[in-house]
Amino acid sequence: MHRFVATRAKTLARAILAGALTFTVAGCGTIGPDPWQKDLMAKREMQPDPYPMETAAAEHIYFSKEASSGGRGFAGGGCGCN
Amino acid sequence: MPPTAADAQGGGYEGGEFGPGTFYTEQSSALLIYEEAGGRVMAIEPGATLTAHGEYGEQLSFGLTIDAVSGATPNGAVPADQSQTFVTPLKIHGSCSTVTTASGGSQVVCLPPTQGQLNSAERVYKTPPNTLPVDKGFSDRRVGFAMSYAQPLGPLSEAGLGAGYSLERDYQAITANGHITQNFNADDTTLSLSINSEIDSSFPYGGIPAPFSQMDPHFKPVTARQKTQLGFVVGWTEVVTRNWLMQLNYSFDSQSGYQTDPYRFISVVDAVSGEPLNYLYENRPGSRVSQSGFWENKFDFGPTVTDLSLRYYKDSWGVVSKTAELSERINLGQRSYIEPSARWYEQSAANFFRYYLTNAQALPGFASADTRLNAFTSTTFGLKYGLRITPRTELDFSGGYYRQIGNGHPADAIGQLKQQNLFAGTDAAFFLVGYNWDFH
Repeated sequence: MHRFVATRAKTLARAILAGALTFTVAGCGTIGPDPWQKDLMAKREMQPDPYPMETAAAEHIYFSKEASSGGRGFAGGGCGCN
Repeated sequence: MPPTAADAQGGGYEGGEFGPGTFYTEQSSALLIYEEAGGRVMAIEPGATLTAHGEYGEQLSFGLTIDAVSGATPNGAVPADQSQTFVTPLKIHGSCSTVTTASGGSQVVCLPPTQGQLNSAERVYKTPPNTLPVDKGFSDRRVGFAMSYAQPLGPLSEAGLGAGYSLERDYQAITANGHITQNFNADDTTLSLSINSEIDSSFPYGGIPAPFSQMDPHFKPVTARQKTQLGFVVGWTEVVTRNWLMQLNYSFDSQSGYQTDPYRFISVVDAVSGEPLNYLYENRPGSRVSQSGFWENKFDFGPTVTDLSLRYYKDSWGVVSKTAELSERINLGQRSYIEPSARWYEQSAANFFRYYLTNAQALPGFASADTRLNAFTSTTFGLKYGLRITPRTELDFSGGYYRQIGNGHPADAIGQLKQQNLFAGTDAAFFLVGYNWDFH
Protein backbone atom coordinates (compact mmCIF):
# COMPACT_ATOMS: atom_id res chain seq x y z
CA MET A 1 0.00 0.00 0.00
CA HIS A 2 2.76 2.38 1.01
CA ARG A 3 4.69 1.47 -2.11
CA PHE A 4 1.62 2.20 -4.26
CA VAL A 5 1.12 5.59 -2.62
CA ALA A 6 4.80 6.43 -3.05
CA THR A 7 4.68 5.47 -6.74
CA ARG A 8 1.56 7.56 -7.29
CA ALA A 9 3.18 10.50 -5.51
CA LYS A 10 6.29 10.24 -7.68
CA THR A 11 4.17 10.05 -10.83
CA LEU A 12 2.16 13.05 -9.76
CA ALA A 13 5.30 15.01 -8.96
CA ARG A 14 6.76 14.17 -12.38
CA ALA A 15 3.53 15.21 -14.06
CA ILE A 16 3.53 18.55 -12.22
CA LEU A 17 7.19 19.11 -13.10
CA ALA A 18 6.60 18.24 -16.76
CA GLY A 19 3.55 20.47 -16.85
CA ALA A 20 5.44 23.34 -15.28
CA LEU A 21 8.31 22.93 -17.74
CA THR A 22 5.93 22.77 -20.69
CA PHE A 23 4.11 25.84 -19.45
CA THR A 24 7.38 27.68 -18.94
CA VAL A 25 8.83 26.78 -22.35
CA ALA A 26 5.56 27.43 -24.17
CA GLY A 27 5.00 30.55 -22.13
CA CYS A 28 8.35 31.99 -23.18
CA GLY A 29 7.00 32.45 -26.66
CA THR A 30 3.94 34.30 -25.55
CA ILE A 31 5.03 36.26 -22.50
CA GLY A 32 4.60 40.00 -22.79
CA PRO A 33 2.25 42.18 -24.81
CA ASP A 34 1.99 42.29 -28.57
CA PRO A 35 3.58 45.25 -30.38
CA TRP A 36 0.28 47.11 -30.66
CA GLN A 37 -0.18 46.85 -26.88
CA LYS A 38 3.01 48.74 -25.96
CA ASP A 39 1.61 52.24 -25.87
CA LEU A 40 2.42 52.65 -22.19
CA MET A 41 6.02 51.49 -22.69
CA ALA A 42 6.54 54.43 -25.05
CA LYS A 43 6.04 56.94 -22.25
CA ARG A 44 9.16 58.59 -20.89
CA GLU A 45 8.29 57.71 -17.32
CA MET A 46 8.16 54.01 -18.21
CA GLN A 47 11.80 53.99 -19.35
CA PRO A 48 14.13 52.29 -16.86
CA ASP A 49 16.16 55.48 -16.50
CA PRO A 50 14.17 58.39 -17.95
CA TYR A 51 16.29 61.12 -16.31
CA PRO A 52 19.89 59.86 -16.48
CA MET A 53 21.58 63.03 -15.27
CA GLU A 54 19.40 63.08 -12.18
CA THR A 55 19.97 59.39 -11.54
CA ALA A 56 23.72 60.00 -11.87
CA ALA A 57 23.55 62.86 -9.34
CA ALA A 58 21.70 60.69 -6.81
CA GLU A 59 24.07 57.75 -7.35
CA HIS A 60 26.96 60.14 -6.84
CA ILE A 61 25.62 61.12 -3.41
CA TYR A 62 25.17 57.51 -2.34
CA PHE A 63 28.51 56.42 -3.77
CA SER A 64 30.33 59.12 -1.81
CA LYS A 65 28.64 58.23 1.51
CA GLU A 66 28.24 54.43 1.37
CA ALA A 67 30.42 51.36 0.77
CA SER A 68 28.29 49.88 -2.03
CA SER A 69 28.06 50.95 -5.62
CA GLY A 70 26.73 49.59 -8.89
CA GLY A 71 23.74 47.36 -9.50
CA ARG A 72 21.80 49.58 -11.84
CA GLY A 73 25.03 50.01 -13.78
CA PHE A 74 28.73 49.57 -13.20
CA ALA A 75 30.33 49.66 -9.76
CA GLY A 76 32.69 52.52 -9.00
CA GLY A 77 32.14 56.10 -9.88
CA GLY A 78 34.87 57.06 -12.28
CA CYS A 79 36.14 59.49 -9.67
CA GLY A 80 37.89 59.62 -6.31
CA CYS A 81 34.68 60.43 -4.48
CA ASN A 82 34.83 57.42 -2.20
CA MET B 1 23.24 51.39 -17.50
CA PRO B 2 22.64 48.50 -19.89
CA PRO B 3 20.18 49.19 -22.72
CA THR B 4 16.78 47.64 -22.24
CA ALA B 5 13.73 46.30 -24.00
CA ALA B 6 11.91 49.56 -23.40
CA ASP B 7 14.71 51.41 -25.13
CA ALA B 8 13.95 49.23 -28.12
CA GLN B 9 10.34 50.33 -27.97
CA GLY B 10 11.34 53.85 -28.85
CA GLY B 11 13.09 55.22 -25.79
CA GLY B 12 10.00 56.87 -24.42
CA TYR B 13 9.22 59.07 -27.35
CA GLU B 14 5.61 59.18 -28.26
CA GLY B 15 4.70 60.69 -31.58
CA GLY B 16 6.25 60.32 -35.00
CA GLU B 17 8.64 63.28 -34.96
CA PHE B 18 10.93 61.76 -32.35
CA GLY B 19 12.03 58.20 -31.72
CA PRO B 20 13.17 55.34 -33.97
CA GLY B 21 13.61 56.22 -37.59
CA THR B 22 14.07 59.93 -37.03
CA PHE B 23 17.07 62.12 -36.42
CA TYR B 24 16.82 64.18 -33.27
CA THR B 25 18.93 65.39 -30.35
CA GLU B 26 18.28 64.92 -26.69
CA GLN B 27 19.66 67.32 -24.10
CA SER B 28 19.61 66.44 -20.42
CA SER B 29 21.08 68.64 -17.71
CA ALA B 30 20.96 68.85 -13.93
CA LEU B 31 22.29 71.01 -11.13
CA LEU B 32 22.81 69.35 -7.78
CA ILE B 33 23.30 71.26 -4.54
CA TYR B 34 24.22 69.09 -1.58
CA GLU B 35 24.85 70.14 2.01
CA GLU B 36 25.63 68.10 5.10
CA ALA B 37 24.39 69.06 8.55
CA GLY B 38 26.72 70.73 11.04
CA GLY B 39 28.68 72.70 8.46
CA ARG B 40 30.24 69.62 6.95
CA VAL B 41 30.61 68.96 3.22
CA MET B 42 28.86 71.18 0.70
CA ALA B 43 28.88 70.36 -2.99
CA ILE B 44 27.63 72.03 -6.15
CA GLU B 45 27.53 69.80 -9.19
CA PRO B 46 26.23 70.91 -12.60
CA GLY B 47 26.17 68.38 -15.43
CA ALA B 48 24.83 67.96 -18.93
CA THR B 49 24.62 65.34 -21.67
CA LEU B 50 23.86 65.74 -25.34
CA THR B 51 22.77 62.68 -27.32
CA ALA B 52 22.24 62.66 -31.06
CA HIS B 53 19.96 59.90 -32.36
CA GLY B 54 20.32 58.79 -35.98
CA GLU B 55 17.73 57.36 -38.36
CA TYR B 56 19.07 53.83 -38.05
CA GLY B 57 19.36 53.62 -34.29
CA GLU B 58 22.77 55.30 -34.00
CA GLN B 59 23.42 57.19 -30.74
CA LEU B 60 26.32 59.56 -30.14
CA SER B 61 26.51 61.03 -26.68
CA PHE B 62 28.69 63.58 -24.88
CA GLY B 63 28.55 64.36 -21.17
CA LEU B 64 30.20 66.93 -18.91
CA THR B 65 30.11 67.13 -15.11
CA ILE B 66 31.72 69.70 -12.85
CA ASP B 67 32.01 69.31 -9.10
CA ALA B 68 32.97 71.80 -6.39
CA VAL B 69 33.22 70.32 -2.92
CA SER B 70 34.27 72.01 0.31
CA GLY B 71 33.64 71.92 4.04
CA ALA B 72 34.59 69.87 7.03
CA THR B 73 35.14 66.16 6.72
CA PRO B 74 35.83 63.63 9.51
CA ASN B 75 39.53 62.76 9.57
CA GLY B 76 39.00 59.28 11.08
CA ALA B 77 40.13 60.02 14.64
CA VAL B 78 37.75 59.38 17.55
CA PRO B 79 36.49 62.20 19.83
CA ALA B 80 38.17 62.60 23.22
CA ASP B 81 37.50 64.41 26.49
CA GLN B 82 40.54 66.57 25.80
CA SER B 83 41.56 68.84 22.96
CA GLN B 84 43.27 67.10 20.04
CA THR B 85 45.79 68.51 17.57
CA PHE B 86 46.29 67.34 13.99
CA VAL B 87 48.85 68.26 11.36
CA THR B 88 48.97 67.98 7.57
CA PRO B 89 51.66 68.92 5.03
CA LEU B 90 51.54 72.33 3.44
CA LYS B 91 53.44 73.84 0.53
CA ILE B 92 54.73 77.35 1.02
CA HIS B 93 55.40 79.74 -1.81
CA GLY B 94 57.92 82.40 -0.85
CA SER B 95 59.03 82.93 2.73
CA CYS B 96 57.26 81.14 5.55
CA SER B 97 55.69 82.96 8.44
CA THR B 98 53.39 81.48 11.06
CA VAL B 99 49.83 82.71 10.52
CA THR B 100 46.27 81.68 11.26
CA THR B 101 44.28 80.99 8.12
CA ALA B 102 40.71 81.91 7.57
CA SER B 103 39.64 78.35 6.81
CA GLY B 104 38.34 77.11 10.10
CA GLY B 105 41.07 78.25 12.43
CA SER B 106 43.87 76.16 10.93
CA GLN B 107 47.31 77.48 11.69
CA VAL B 108 50.29 77.45 9.36
CA VAL B 109 53.49 76.56 11.18
CA CYS B 110 56.90 76.78 9.50
CA LEU B 111 59.06 73.67 9.64
CA PRO B 112 62.87 73.58 9.68
CA PRO B 113 64.10 73.12 6.09
CA THR B 114 64.97 69.55 5.22
CA GLN B 115 66.85 68.21 2.22
CA GLY B 116 64.78 68.88 -0.88
CA GLN B 117 61.97 70.52 1.10
CA LEU B 118 62.89 74.17 1.39
CA ASN B 119 60.15 76.41 2.72
CA SER B 120 58.24 73.47 4.15
CA ALA B 121 55.37 74.06 6.56
CA GLU B 122 52.53 72.28 8.28
CA ARG B 123 48.88 73.11 8.68
CA VAL B 124 47.76 72.58 12.27
CA TYR B 125 44.16 72.34 13.40
CA LYS B 126 42.69 71.60 16.79
CA THR B 127 39.52 69.78 17.81
CA PRO B 128 37.82 70.85 21.06
CA PRO B 129 37.05 68.24 23.76
CA ASN B 130 34.10 65.90 23.15
CA THR B 131 33.90 66.86 19.47
CA LEU B 132 34.24 64.72 16.35
CA PRO B 133 37.59 65.58 14.73
CA VAL B 134 37.03 67.08 11.29
CA ASP B 135 39.39 68.71 8.84
CA LYS B 136 37.83 72.00 7.81
CA GLY B 137 40.40 72.55 5.12
CA PHE B 138 38.78 70.03 2.76
CA SER B 139 38.21 71.41 -0.71
CA ASP B 140 38.23 69.86 -4.16
CA ARG B 141 37.21 70.49 -7.75
CA ARG B 142 36.39 67.90 -10.38
CA VAL B 143 35.78 67.95 -14.10
CA GLY B 144 34.43 64.80 -15.72
CA PHE B 145 33.92 64.17 -19.42
CA ALA B 146 32.31 61.13 -21.06
CA MET B 147 31.35 60.10 -24.57
CA SER B 148 29.77 57.03 -26.13
CA TYR B 149 28.59 55.69 -29.45
CA ALA B 150 26.15 52.84 -30.15
CA GLN B 151 24.35 51.43 -33.16
CA PRO B 152 22.78 48.19 -34.44
CA LEU B 153 25.56 45.90 -35.61
CA GLY B 154 24.96 42.87 -37.85
CA PRO B 155 22.76 40.40 -36.00
CA LEU B 156 23.06 42.38 -32.76
CA SER B 157 20.31 44.79 -31.80
CA GLU B 158 22.95 47.18 -30.52
CA ALA B 159 26.67 47.41 -29.88
CA GLY B 160 28.37 50.37 -28.28
CA LEU B 161 31.59 51.80 -26.90
CA GLY B 162 32.20 54.55 -24.37
CA ALA B 163 35.02 56.36 -22.59
CA GLY B 164 35.31 58.79 -19.73
CA TYR B 165 37.88 61.01 -18.06
CA SER B 166 37.64 62.63 -14.65
CA LEU B 167 40.22 64.94 -13.05
CA GLU B 168 40.35 66.25 -9.50
CA ARG B 169 43.14 68.08 -7.71
CA ASP B 170 44.40 64.80 -6.30
CA TYR B 171 42.74 62.08 -8.38
CA GLN B 172 42.38 61.02 -11.99
CA ALA B 173 40.08 58.35 -13.44
CA ILE B 174 40.07 57.00 -16.99
CA THR B 175 37.22 54.67 -17.94
CA ALA B 176 36.39 52.63 -21.03
CA ASN B 177 33.31 50.49 -21.57
CA GLY B 178 31.47 48.49 -24.19
CA HIS B 179 28.11 46.75 -24.47
CA ILE B 180 26.08 44.49 -26.71
CA THR B 181 22.34 43.87 -26.58
CA GLN B 182 19.96 41.51 -28.30
CA ASN B 183 16.19 41.77 -28.44
CA PHE B 184 13.96 38.71 -28.59
CA ASN B 185 10.32 37.77 -28.36
CA ALA B 186 8.92 40.59 -30.49
CA ASP B 187 11.26 42.96 -28.62
CA ASP B 188 9.62 42.19 -25.28
CA THR B 189 12.87 40.67 -24.04
CA THR B 190 16.32 42.23 -24.06
CA LEU B 191 19.53 40.61 -22.92
CA SER B 192 22.62 42.76 -22.51
CA LEU B 193 26.26 42.42 -21.58
CA SER B 194 28.28 45.47 -20.57
CA ILE B 195 31.96 45.56 -19.71
CA ASN B 196 33.71 48.39 -17.88
CA SER B 197 37.36 49.06 -17.16
CA GLU B 198 38.93 51.86 -15.18
CA ILE B 199 42.43 53.07 -14.38
CA ASP B 200 42.65 55.51 -11.47
CA SER B 201 45.59 57.51 -10.18
CA SER B 202 45.68 58.96 -6.68
CA PHE B 203 48.18 61.79 -6.12
CA PRO B 204 47.19 63.21 -2.73
CA TYR B 205 48.38 66.52 -1.40
CA GLY B 206 51.37 65.70 0.76
CA GLY B 207 52.13 62.39 -0.96
CA ILE B 208 51.24 58.80 -0.16
CA PRO B 209 51.71 57.96 3.54
CA ALA B 210 53.22 54.59 4.39
CA PRO B 211 50.58 52.22 5.80
CA PHE B 212 50.13 52.71 9.55
CA SER B 213 52.84 55.36 9.68
CA GLN B 214 52.37 58.10 12.28
CA MET B 215 50.68 61.40 11.42
CA ASP B 216 53.43 63.43 9.80
CA PRO B 217 53.44 66.99 8.37
CA HIS B 218 56.29 66.30 5.96
CA PHE B 219 55.80 65.58 2.29
CA LYS B 220 56.12 61.88 1.54
CA PRO B 221 58.53 60.59 -1.11
CA VAL B 222 55.89 58.49 -2.92
CA THR B 223 53.61 60.91 -4.71
CA ALA B 224 51.15 58.70 -6.63
CA ARG B 225 49.62 55.22 -6.68
CA GLN B 226 47.29 53.51 -9.13
CA LYS B 227 44.20 51.34 -9.04
CA THR B 228 42.71 49.28 -11.85
CA GLN B 229 39.15 48.07 -12.12
CA LEU B 230 37.37 45.58 -14.37
CA GLY B 231 33.70 44.72 -14.21
CA PHE B 232 30.71 43.53 -16.14
CA VAL B 233 26.92 43.71 -15.94
CA VAL B 234 24.61 41.08 -17.38
CA GLY B 235 21.10 42.45 -17.81
CA TRP B 236 17.70 41.01 -18.60
CA THR B 237 14.80 43.33 -19.28
CA GLU B 238 11.27 42.13 -19.88
CA VAL B 239 8.09 43.90 -20.91
CA VAL B 240 6.01 41.52 -18.81
CA THR B 241 2.57 42.98 -19.47
CA ARG B 242 1.21 46.10 -21.12
CA ASN B 243 1.88 48.07 -17.93
CA TRP B 244 4.72 46.18 -16.23
CA LEU B 245 8.41 46.55 -17.08
CA MET B 246 11.01 44.51 -15.23
CA GLN B 247 14.79 44.64 -15.19
CA LEU B 248 17.18 42.20 -13.56
CA ASN B 249 20.95 42.83 -13.46
CA TYR B 250 23.89 40.88 -12.16
CA SER B 251 27.09 42.89 -11.67
CA PHE B 252 30.63 41.75 -10.99
CA ASP B 253 33.51 44.07 -10.29
CA SER B 254 37.16 43.60 -9.38
CA GLN B 255 39.42 46.39 -8.15
CA SER B 256 43.14 46.07 -7.62
CA GLY B 257 45.70 48.57 -6.37
CA TYR B 258 45.70 51.55 -4.02
CA GLN B 259 42.33 51.87 -2.27
CA THR B 260 43.45 53.48 0.97
CA ASP B 261 42.29 56.99 1.89
CA PRO B 262 45.61 58.87 2.11
CA TYR B 263 44.19 61.63 4.34
CA ARG B 264 42.43 59.44 6.88
CA PHE B 265 43.77 58.66 10.35
CA ILE B 266 42.93 56.00 12.88
CA SER B 267 43.41 56.81 16.56
CA VAL B 268 45.62 54.70 18.79
CA VAL B 269 44.21 54.99 22.32
CA ASP B 270 45.30 53.88 25.77
CA ALA B 271 43.83 50.42 26.36
CA VAL B 272 42.47 51.43 29.80
CA SER B 273 41.64 55.14 29.71
CA GLY B 274 40.71 55.37 26.03
CA GLU B 275 42.71 58.59 25.76
CA PRO B 276 44.30 59.18 22.33
CA LEU B 277 48.04 58.49 22.24
CA ASN B 278 48.78 59.05 18.56
CA TYR B 279 47.30 58.87 15.08
CA LEU B 280 48.23 56.48 12.28
CA TYR B 281 47.45 56.65 8.58
CA GLU B 282 44.94 53.94 7.71
CA ASN B 283 45.64 50.88 5.53
CA ARG B 284 43.16 48.99 3.30
CA PRO B 285 43.53 45.80 1.26
CA GLY B 286 44.71 46.22 -2.31
CA SER B 287 42.07 43.92 -3.75
CA ARG B 288 38.29 44.21 -3.67
CA VAL B 289 35.81 42.02 -5.53
CA SER B 290 32.12 42.85 -5.44
CA GLN B 291 28.93 41.34 -6.78
CA SER B 292 25.41 42.68 -6.81
CA GLY B 293 21.95 41.76 -7.95
CA PHE B 294 19.56 44.52 -8.94
CA TRP B 295 15.85 44.09 -9.64
CA GLU B 296 13.67 46.96 -10.79
CA ASN B 297 9.97 46.96 -11.58
CA LYS B 298 7.89 49.72 -13.13
CA PHE B 299 4.11 49.62 -13.11
CA ASP B 300 1.93 52.02 -15.03
CA PHE B 301 -1.44 52.39 -13.31
CA GLY B 302 -2.92 55.09 -15.50
CA PRO B 303 -2.28 58.39 -13.74
CA THR B 304 0.51 56.92 -11.62
CA VAL B 305 3.76 55.08 -12.27
CA THR B 306 5.25 53.01 -9.46
CA ASP B 307 8.97 52.25 -9.46
CA LEU B 308 10.22 49.61 -7.02
CA SER B 309 13.84 48.45 -7.01
CA LEU B 310 15.83 46.14 -4.77
CA ARG B 311 19.58 45.59 -4.64
CA TYR B 312 21.73 43.07 -2.83
CA TYR B 313 25.47 43.79 -2.71
CA LYS B 314 28.35 41.78 -1.32
CA ASP B 315 32.11 42.28 -1.50
CA SER B 316 35.37 40.67 -0.43
CA TRP B 317 35.90 43.32 2.28
CA GLY B 318 32.97 41.82 4.17
CA VAL B 319 30.46 44.51 3.27
CA VAL B 320 26.95 43.18 2.64
CA SER B 321 24.26 45.70 1.81
CA LYS B 322 20.57 45.74 0.96
CA THR B 323 18.83 48.62 -0.77
CA ALA B 324 15.15 49.23 -1.46
CA GLU B 325 13.81 52.21 -3.39
CA LEU B 326 10.22 53.15 -4.06
CA SER B 327 8.84 56.10 -5.97
CA GLU B 328 5.36 56.97 -7.11
CA ARG B 329 4.89 59.36 -10.00
CA ILE B 330 1.48 60.99 -9.88
CA ASN B 331 0.47 62.87 -13.00
CA LEU B 332 -1.35 66.14 -12.33
CA GLY B 333 -3.07 66.45 -15.67
CA GLN B 334 -1.13 66.49 -18.94
CA ARG B 335 1.64 68.90 -18.04
CA SER B 336 2.90 68.27 -14.55
CA TYR B 337 3.50 65.58 -11.96
CA ILE B 338 4.76 65.06 -8.46
CA GLU B 339 6.87 62.12 -7.39
CA PRO B 340 7.42 61.26 -3.72
CA SER B 341 10.22 58.74 -3.16
CA ALA B 342 11.80 56.77 -0.35
CA ARG B 343 15.03 54.82 -0.13
CA TRP B 344 16.20 52.47 2.58
CA TYR B 345 19.79 51.19 2.75
CA GLU B 346 21.59 48.97 5.23
CA GLN B 347 25.21 47.83 5.19
CA SER B 348 27.40 45.69 7.40
CA ALA B 349 30.90 46.82 8.36
CA ALA B 350 34.02 45.94 6.39
CA ASN B 351 35.94 43.27 8.25
CA PHE B 352 38.87 45.65 8.84
CA PHE B 353 36.77 48.56 10.12
CA ARG B 354 37.87 49.73 13.57
CA TYR B 355 36.65 52.73 15.52
CA TYR B 356 40.18 52.92 16.96
CA LEU B 357 43.22 50.81 17.81
CA THR B 358 44.70 50.38 21.30
CA ASN B 359 48.29 50.37 22.46
CA ALA B 360 47.78 46.92 23.98
CA GLN B 361 47.18 45.19 20.67
CA ALA B 362 49.46 44.35 17.77
CA LEU B 363 48.72 46.22 14.56
CA PRO B 364 46.19 44.33 12.42
CA GLY B 365 46.93 43.64 8.76
CA PHE B 366 44.48 46.34 7.69
CA ALA B 367 42.42 48.93 9.52
CA SER B 368 40.27 51.91 8.64
CA ALA B 369 38.02 54.15 10.73
CA ASP B 370 36.17 55.46 7.67
CA THR B 371 32.46 55.72 8.53
CA ARG B 372 31.60 54.57 5.02
CA LEU B 373 33.04 51.19 5.97
CA ASN B 374 31.13 51.02 9.27
CA ALA B 375 27.78 49.30 9.73
CA PHE B 376 24.85 51.70 9.39
CA THR B 377 21.41 52.24 7.99
CA SER B 378 20.49 55.17 5.83
CA THR B 379 17.15 56.55 4.74
CA THR B 380 16.30 59.08 2.06
CA PHE B 381 12.99 60.79 1.55
CA GLY B 382 12.46 62.94 -1.50
CA LEU B 383 9.88 64.83 -3.49
CA LYS B 384 10.00 65.86 -7.12
CA TYR B 385 7.86 68.23 -9.14
CA GLY B 386 8.02 68.07 -12.92
CA LEU B 387 6.58 70.47 -15.44
CA ARG B 388 6.28 69.87 -19.17
CA ILE B 389 6.86 73.31 -20.65
CA THR B 390 6.39 72.13 -24.22
CA PRO B 391 5.66 68.62 -25.52
CA ARG B 392 9.44 68.04 -25.75
CA THR B 393 10.75 70.21 -22.92
CA GLU B 394 10.60 69.35 -19.26
CA LEU B 395 11.80 71.16 -16.17
CA ASP B 396 11.83 69.51 -12.78
CA PHE B 397 12.76 70.32 -9.22
CA SER B 398 13.48 67.78 -6.54
CA GLY B 399 14.69 67.82 -3.00
CA GLY B 400 15.53 65.21 -0.45
CA TYR B 401 16.87 64.48 2.99
CA TYR B 402 19.45 61.77 3.59
CA ARG B 403 20.10 60.38 7.06
CA GLN B 404 22.67 57.88 8.34
CA ILE B 405 21.96 55.97 11.55
CA GLY B 406 24.74 53.95 13.16
CA ASN B 407 26.05 52.72 16.47
CA GLY B 408 27.95 55.51 18.21
CA HIS B 409 28.35 53.60 21.46
CA PRO B 410 29.81 50.15 20.75
CA ALA B 411 29.57 47.76 23.70
CA ASP B 412 33.34 47.26 23.84
CA ALA B 413 34.22 50.97 24.03
CA ILE B 414 36.88 51.64 26.66
CA GLY B 415 37.52 54.42 29.18
CA GLN B 416 36.50 57.91 28.09
CA LEU B 417 35.30 56.55 24.72
CA LYS B 418 32.21 55.18 26.46
CA GLN B 419 31.05 58.78 26.84
CA GLN B 420 31.67 59.72 23.21
CA ASN B 421 29.53 59.30 20.12
CA LEU B 422 31.84 57.27 17.90
CA PHE B 423 29.57 57.18 14.85
CA ALA B 424 30.74 59.80 12.37
CA GLY B 425 27.78 59.51 10.01
CA THR B 426 25.89 62.50 8.78
CA ASP B 427 22.57 63.96 7.71
CA ALA B 428 22.39 65.77 4.39
CA ALA B 429 19.91 67.75 2.36
CA PHE B 430 20.02 68.03 -1.41
CA PHE B 431 18.24 70.00 -4.07
CA LEU B 432 18.26 69.27 -7.76
CA VAL B 433 17.03 71.08 -10.85
CA GLY B 434 16.74 69.07 -14.05
CA TYR B 435 16.09 70.23 -17.59
CA ASN B 436 15.40 67.89 -20.52
CA TRP B 437 14.89 69.07 -24.07
CA ASP B 438 14.55 67.11 -27.31
CA PHE B 439 14.98 68.95 -30.59
CA HIS B 440 15.67 68.45 -34.28
